[in-house]
Amino acid sequence: MSAISTGKSLVLNKVVTNRNVIMRRIGDVLLGIVLVLMLAPFAFAVLTAIRPAADVANDPLGLPTRITAENVATAFAQMNYAQSLWNTVLILFGTSVLTITLGSMASYPLSRIGKRWTRLTYQLFIIGTSVPIWVLIAPLYLFMRDLGLLGSFAGVILIYTAGLLPVAIFFYTSFIRQVPTELEEAASIDGAGSLRIFFLIVFPLLGPMTVTLITYIALSVWNDLIVPIIFLQGIQNGTIMSNAYALLNPLVVQPTTLFPAILLGVIPLIVLFAVLQRYVIAGLTSGAIK
Amino acid sequence: MITKRPLVAIGFLLPALTAYGLFTLYPLVRGLWLSLTDSSGGPRSNFIGLENYRRLIFDPDVHSATLITIQYAVIVVVLQNLFGLLLARALFERPHARRVIGTLVLLPTLVAPLMSSFIFSYLLAPDGALNRMLALIGLPGLQHVWYGDPTTALASIAAVQIWMYTGYTATIFLAGYLAIPRELLEAGRIDGATSWQQFRLIEWPLLAPSLTVCVTLSLIGSLRVFEFPFVLTNGGPAGSTMTLTLLIFNSTFHAASKFAYGIAIAFALLVLVVVSAAIATVVLRAREARI
Repeated sequence: MSAISTGKSLVLNKVVTNRNVIMRRIGDVLLGIVLVLMLAPFAFAVLTAIRPAADVANDPLGLPTRITAENVATAFAQMNYAQSLWNTVLILFGTSVLTITLGSMASYPLSRIGKRWTRLTYQLFIIGTSVPIWVLIAPLYLFMRDLGLLGSFAGVILIYTAGLLPVAIFFYTSFIRQVPTELEEAASIDGAGSLRIFFLIVFPLLGPMTVTLITYIALSVWNDLIVPIIFLQGIQNGTIMSNAYALLNPLVVQPTTLFPAILLGVIPLIVLFAVLQRYVIAGLTSGAIK
Repeated sequence: MITKRPLVAIGFLLPALTAYGLFTLYPLVRGLWLSLTDSSGGPRSNFIGLENYRRLIFDPDVHSATLITIQYAVIVVVLQNLFGLLLARALFERPHARRVIGTLVLLPTLVAPLMSSFIFSYLLAPDGALNRMLALIGLPGLQHVWYGDPTTALASIAAVQIWMYTGYTATIFLAGYLAIPRELLEAGRIDGATSWQQFRLIEWPLLAPSLTVCVTLSLIGSLRVFEFPFVLTNGGPAGSTMTLTLLIFNSTFHAASKFAYGIAIAFALLVLVVVSAAIATVVLRAREARI
């Protein structure tokens, strides 16, 4: 920049700065609007859930003037909530334990041994990330019927585990490759067997990846509707989602029952994600390959 | 060490391979076989070769469902990534607000598709919140029976998916923004680049990897969409939201005579998903390399 044009560019800079300030304010307002749009549907559900039915009928869009827990109690009963919650937690627990154990164990040789057959086995698992459940669901139904696992939690847990293993293996193998082998070598010289080395040395080092995977598994299993409506029959066996679907018809049910049901469905997840907060973003972005 | 003992290595792999082989690979192969038969789900079936595939190529229902699914995917991919990118940029430029708002926008992602559909079925009902708001701000002309009108139903379903995942897309774009070297952005600012130039010449090219991930993810997710049309319209009105997944579900589980045919449609969906994801990845990766 030459000395002569400096004065002119100063003026220009000032204009640009003013424009930037205005643009920034407009940006703030737009961001505010987007934020309201994103949170309003959920906030609306929460606020309606705690209003008495009569108030909602009078003024559907109003803010709560009186608060009641009656709606939540009604939804609790209509969704068969205690039983559904127990079923969902059981299925989630079984799926998490199996996926994490089998996935991390398989990833150990897949990431430590650089042979042709391990690479091929790894590829075979990765294929699973691009298969939509729709291709598998009918043959799985027949297979589960043949095995007598239709309507059982075991069947559903196995279906989820098989579906989530490719994701678990993808992340565990890339994680284990970054773990140095010195500790394992030392333990091996001390005479420790592979199982001991894996569970006492390698697995604890995978902790952060494991927690991230749990958030991913929780989100997939908790919110899934397709597998439970097809493989779990009967309200006694249903998950929160399948029972909410079976018992609540949005066209017939009062919003004052529907919205508490939504709260009851999502609160356990919100609690889990709040506890594991720093792993959540990693978990959500790790869904990137699924 | 496990590296020197292949048998132990196989022992480590066996449990996962068994579960995956039995409940993913075997059904995949059995499904492919079933799609070549006239099975109705019972024990008896006849091999009919490619008949089911021949039939679906000429089936107007499959044509219409494919078109609707692609339309749906285009709406979702374009809008979700546009909104996600804008949101990510707004958050990137506001470091103080980033943490709190960045977490809040992920809330819709936690709400199950079924529950999100419940919320929107109420908000977009004929006398629901949206129509009341439109009346309130003096735009009653814009009121619609959102899920009952063939011209608005598909877009109104897409709105739910976009609402759920815009925060998620923004999270990935924001990670991309945070990976841009600070010096480049500073250099642009010192040279007096306008906000748009800054975006067009520096940020947009450097966000190429995030764009690849976000577009591929939203593409796969929207081609497989099920819960939203299933709960909100069940394919109606007048078939205007009958996606491939709904067609598969209805054929396989509600019409025994179409059991095997439904599986054939599912394989058509698999091909559609894999081919579009592959094209998107190749095109976007090539673009990354060019930039």
